[in-house]
Amino acid sequence: MRSAKPRKPISYHLRKSLPFWLILPTLIVIIIVQVYPALYTIWLSMQARHATGWEYVGTQNFERLFGTGLFPESVGHTVIFLTGYALVTLTLGFVIAILLKQKVPFTGVYITLLFIPWIIADIIAGLIFRLMVTPDYGLFSGILQNPALFPPNGLSILTAARPAPWFGSFPFPPSPAMIYLILAASWRALPFITLLILAALQTVSHEVMESARIDGANLVQLTRYITIPLILPTMVVALFFLMLGGINGVGMVFSLTGGGPGTTTYVISYLLYVIGWGQLRFGRAAALALLIAAVNWLLILSVLRITRINDRSR
Amino acid sequence: MTKKFYLNRRIWKRRLVGLALLVITVISIFPIATTILVSFKQQADITRKPPVIFPCDTPEQKFDIKACRWSVEGYQRVFAPKPDEGSLFGFKFTGNLLRIYIPNTLMYAFSTAFFVTLLASFSGFAFSRYHFRGHNALMAAIYAVTGVPLLTNILALYQMSITLRKNVGFFDDRMFLVFVYLGFFLPISVWIAKGFFDTIPRELEESALLAGCSTLGALFRITMPLALPGLISVFLLTFVNVWNEFIVAYLLVTKNEYKPAMFGLYDFLSQNIINLQVLAAACIIIAAPIVILFLFARKIFFKAMVEGAVKG
Repeated sequence: MRSAKPRKPISYHLRKSLPFWLILPTLIVIIIVQVYPALYTIWLSMQARHATGWEYVGTQNFERLFGTGLFPESVGHTVIFLTGYALVTLTLGFVIAILLKQKVPFTGVYITLLFIPWIIADIIAGLIFRLMVTPDYGLFSGILQNPALFPPNGLSILTAARPAPWFGSFPFPPSPAMIYLILAASWRALPFITLLILAALQTVSHEVMESARIDGANLVQLTRYITIPLILPTMVVALFFLMLGGINGVGMVFSLTGGGPGTTTYVISYLLYVIGWGQLRFGRAAALALLIAAVNWLLILSVLRITRINDRSR
Repeated sequence: MTKKFYLNRRIWKRRLVGLALLVITVISIFPIATTILVSFKQQADITRKPPVIFPCDTPEQKFDIKACRWSVEGYQRVFAPKPDEGSLFGFKFTGNLLRIYIPNTLMYAFSTAFFVTLLASFSGFAFSRYHFRGHNALMAAIYAVTGVPLLTNILALYQMSITLRKNVGFFDDRMFLVFVYLGFFLPISVWIAKGFFDTIPRELEESALLAGCSTLGALFRITMPLALPGLISVFLLTFVNVWNEFIVAYLLVTKNEYKPAMFGLYDFLSQNIINLQVLAAACIIIAAPIVILFLFARKIFFKAMVEGAVKG
């Protein structure tokens, strides 16, 4: 008589399904905190709040959002902010990384000190910069409010109005507060970008540089034709990181300018906060959140393409 | 002769580079230095017009080192020490920052960092060692989630917290906040952890399995200890991120006794718009632990940053 086919021991099943059990908690958390809220936001963007509850209004939230003057203005501010932020940070980051690569004495000390701004919270960084220019009492207010330097009344960065726009309703030139906000944000992002570029510079092979130098290339030519092309992919990745951080970062606007003076430093993420929690129009805020998320997704997909992440994980 | 000239030029170039770096470092540290200076001034020196950098001037002299009027008034007003018989030094700190906000932040940061490290090491291990169906798609999906900003999801999470607070008896702001942080910082940590596990040779585990160790045993006895430096950097990065986070806590925490330090600092801003020394002292007190941590563990931070940013 044939004995019954022995069942596989339970440990075998466990071992086969082990990766599933290891990943499951992570997936549950991500689904609850990231995926479900994303779907909820899509639903919310088509609802409006009424006394009795939510009501389906279709695309009305989007239409109302585009209809307000504040939305195009905030988009303009965001474009200006991102452009200035990326320009300042990438240029200075490149220069500092090149200097750090020369390996002069105390480079380690310089790197440590240069990185302190990166570790400081955005809300504290905003406050630190605010303290320096607080009207009347800030350290620089004496210089900034000097009528001889900034006629006619002297300039207080946090309250000076925006100059008249040059191109229709596009908010350019920006208000002094916006320029200051860009400087403060760049101060905080600079260390991270410098480190990225420095890491890329270390991979530029010494032989290539040496052979170009023997062929008679000078420093400018070396930088222009060898260094920059070789680190360009990293620069592009750094640019995307800056864009992501710049679009989503709101802490510094909170503590440095509070959106003011007037609405001249309303960036799009701050507008989301104002519509959602200031005006309590959650449907319209959800519509705006979807737009921001769409831009984020485009950026992330570009990073995925550039770094070819799918090839690496194989 | 020519050789000497060349050498001289190299030395000069190095000196110039060193000088440039020194200037850049001084400029980038300058805002922090001024904040420290402001935090040690008296109210009378804060509200002077025009403002002075060092409160060291006398009617006769512009700068006199002996006449400096440094004070700890700002710190005193943040800590608010009151005499108390029962405590160790004869007084206790009654300021909200030290009594409520910083302990809260420590609790949020520690628990989030612990759970993030635990879950990220599990799934990082699984992604690094097993190649199941949908492996790459799942990894890419988790990476794509890192791109969803805190701010867009916070609308839904805010509504979620309102609903839960109404309907669930044991609902707690603190639990919910830690859970939300966990979800936000987990995806990138999974990627970083996977990168660290990839660098550990799997032959070590295989030999442990051959010697009769179970798979989980191999994970906990062989792989985890080897990956520990990497996992510590995941822990520290999450810790700092939670410590520095503001907007989520600002929108999700409703009770004063659950506020973290950044939220408390924002309250200070509205209460002390004129008392710059109090604001500066609060900034220094909240930022100092993180900066000191960074100075001691610089290499660990850079490792996680490069791992997460360049590879991820």
